[in-house]
Amino acid sequence: MNKISTQEFIQQRFAEYYKQNLSSIQPPTTMEKREFAFLLFKERAMLRHKGFKTAEDFRDLLQNVVPSDVYFSSAYYEKPEEEMDAKGWMGADLIFDIDADHIPTPCNKQHDTWSCKNCGVTGRGTKPEKCPKCGGQKFVDVSWPCPICLGSAKEQTMKLIDVLDEDFGLSLKEMSLAFSGHRGYHVHVEKETIRTLDSIARKEIVDYVLGIGLEPAVYGFEKGEGPKLEDTGWKGRIARGTYEFLLTATQEQLEKAQLKRKTASQIIQQREEIVESWKQKGPWKTLKGIGPDSWEKIIRQAIERQSVKIDTVVTTDVHRLIRLANTLHGETGLKKIEVPVNEIEGFDPLKNAVAFRQGAMTVDVSDAPQFKLGDHVYGPYRNQRVELPTAAAILFLCKGAAKIAEETTHVP
Amino acid sequence: MQKLDLKITELDNPEYSRIVDRAEKRIEEAILYAMVSDQTRNSEIEILSFPIAVMMATAANNPFLQRRYALAEAKRAYNILKQESRQKLTEVAQVFNWKMKPAKIDAATSQAAASDFATHFTNYLKNTGNLRESKWKLVNRTMRSGEVYLSKDEAARLLAEEVRAHVEKKLDLKIGFTLPEAVTKRGDRLKQLFLVKKGQMRREEMPKETTVDAFPPCISQLYNMAQTGRHISHIARFALTSFLINSGMTVENVIECFRPASDFSERMTRYQVEHIAGDRGSRTKYIPPRCDTLRTHGVCPGMDELCGKVRHPLAYYRRKLRIIKTQTPTTATRA
Repeated sequence: MNKISTQEFIQQRFAEYYKQNLSSIQPPTTMEKREFAFLLFKERAMLRHKGFKTAEDFRDLLQNVVPSDVYFSSAYYEKPEEEMDAKGWMGADLIFDIDADHIPTPCNKQHDTWSCKNCGVTGRGTKPEKCPKCGGQKFVDVSWPCPICLGSAKEQTMKLIDVLDEDFGLSLKEMSLAFSGHRGYHVHVEKETIRTLDSIARKEIVDYVLGIGLEPAVYGFEKGEGPKLEDTGWKGRIARGTYEFLLTATQEQLEKAQLKRKTASQIIQQREEIVESWKQKGPWKTLKGIGPDSWEKIIRQAIERQSVKIDTVVTTDVHRLIRLANTLHGETGLKKIEVPVNEIEGFDPLKNAVAFRQGAMTVDVSDAPQFKLGDHVYGPYRNQRVELPTAAAILFLCKGAAKIAEETTHVP
Repeated sequence: MQKLDLKITELDNPEYSRIVDRAEKRIEEAILYAMVSDQTRNSEIEILSFPIAVMMATAANNPFLQRRYALAEAKRAYNILKQESRQKLTEVAQVFNWKMKPAKIDAATSQAAASDFATHFTNYLKNTGNLRESKWKLVNRTMRSGEVYLSKDEAARLLAEEVRAHVEKKLDLKIGFTLPEAVTKRGDRLKQLFLVKKGQMRREEMPKETTVDAFPPCISQLYNMAQTGRHISHIARFALTSFLINSGMTVENVIECFRPASDFSERMTRYQVEHIAGDRGSRTKYIPPRCDTLRTHGVCPGMDELCGKVRHPLAYYRRKLRIIKTQTPTTATRA
């Protein structure tokens, strides 16, 4: 076997995947009105403004080019192959992106690493704004999907589905849900009446989902009679969030919400009473010594807990490119995979999104955290040669955390 | 019009003078008072004068006048609509292809106690983009199963927005007809009237130099971040660049602002800045996003007192410049 670069090796595996799974790669609906884009292995260049009339044409290109990532536009255009200004925007689907990067997670992203491009200092967790040693701001960072991150993303996704279903009245048929192939989920809404919403209207949807600009007074708080747990929309969400916060918050969390120490202890002592009184008489009037200021802080916490942490930029962008389902993610070698909305709860992305299910290979791993894929836990590895199932090896290679061992022969 | 066999070429016929007079009056009222009075008692004249007013406004060929006229017609529509019956409002909504129905009041949760109608959120969002009061924000509405609840007055207000969009769309069409001279003359007179009125409106030219001290908190923060070479997100970069360009800073000076960044590329920065300044591509000079958009994307660092009075970073800047000017009659600090 001739010596080949790691990049060429990955591309060969991707080519095999596309050859074997070609029929599973379905172009999006109304494909002739969409723009397609391909990120190329070579020089990481983006091949944009492509248009296709048939699935065959699209699959031909996919097989010939073998890109590292495949995207299509949420937008519909009269002329998808023209430059942006001349495309003739006709409308766009509504897209939500939930990524662990936007969610504070209990793992604190300790599996991620960064190194300063200037002085080479390295660290764990989310990369800092400034290098602690030299003050540089450019880093090489490697982020890993972990079960905790993905669990948080899933939790947010389920909250989002709930809002879209109950509040926005979108049916399960109008929404498609997918694991992105890396650290999050995409929700794609296709509905005629939504297509022509402009960026400002979509911003209102974002604000709704995140609870931005929400004024509790609108929901009747000023009159002293607040919302009930079973109320719909934000009214009920505020009630449920408040309830949950008051019942579960620790002294520390209450103080972190800027409540006075005394008020915080009072809440902790009165928990049981709050619940009882709530059941009997409804909320708000039941706590002695908790004035409007404290209520305001509690409600802000409730809103924060009920808000869904979506990426605001993706939803407001009416020209967004989105990864196509069943194509591979260039940073992981996992595939973007659709999940039926009612099966999300039991879905395990690190099992179901595995694209390379056969074979094993030997790689030289420079640095990788402990990592779960399928049913196995691997690592942590540091500067060692290991034999791994293809999927795990590809993941390390894609992440730049490993190189193919020179004497490697791929076992298909 | 067809029924009465009214032809455009006959508009200067004295027979139609009352209609043409009223058409002219409609626009004049819009220019002078930003409204069109309700004279529905002469319903025939009122109806017929509308399309003629639209023609005159189109002929005047001034986008500001046209926008002002559309807004005034929308106000008139609102005043009429809010007095109409629920049945009538539902019918009007149907004309605009709305799904609007009487709100079902849920006794168990008294959800929509104060609401008269429920309409689909897409109809709602398409007509609230220009409404700034916080009560219009979707997050502050009761919404269930895709339906937003509205009082009768609110429904009238949103339908008036449809009227505005409808009139604006009509005015946007290219003129495919020749108006009789008498009518064109009236159009010209209105345009003159508008220009005089506009001259009286406070019109402030942006000063040639940028005054850093007058920046709103968001821009001030971003400007400092750029100066110290910190990483700035895409949308924040756009906000800062478009703000600086609109404050009168030259493309060269804006590019310099970004130079301290460790990954600074003059070629890329120049391309982006020139694009935003309208020197490239679509030739559109971009303006910064409004305050609430900056808030959505986490760019707003929190408001100061003056922020509460404006909705746009440039509006803040203009006001602050005025304040600085009155405080220091000599030259203000400049960057």
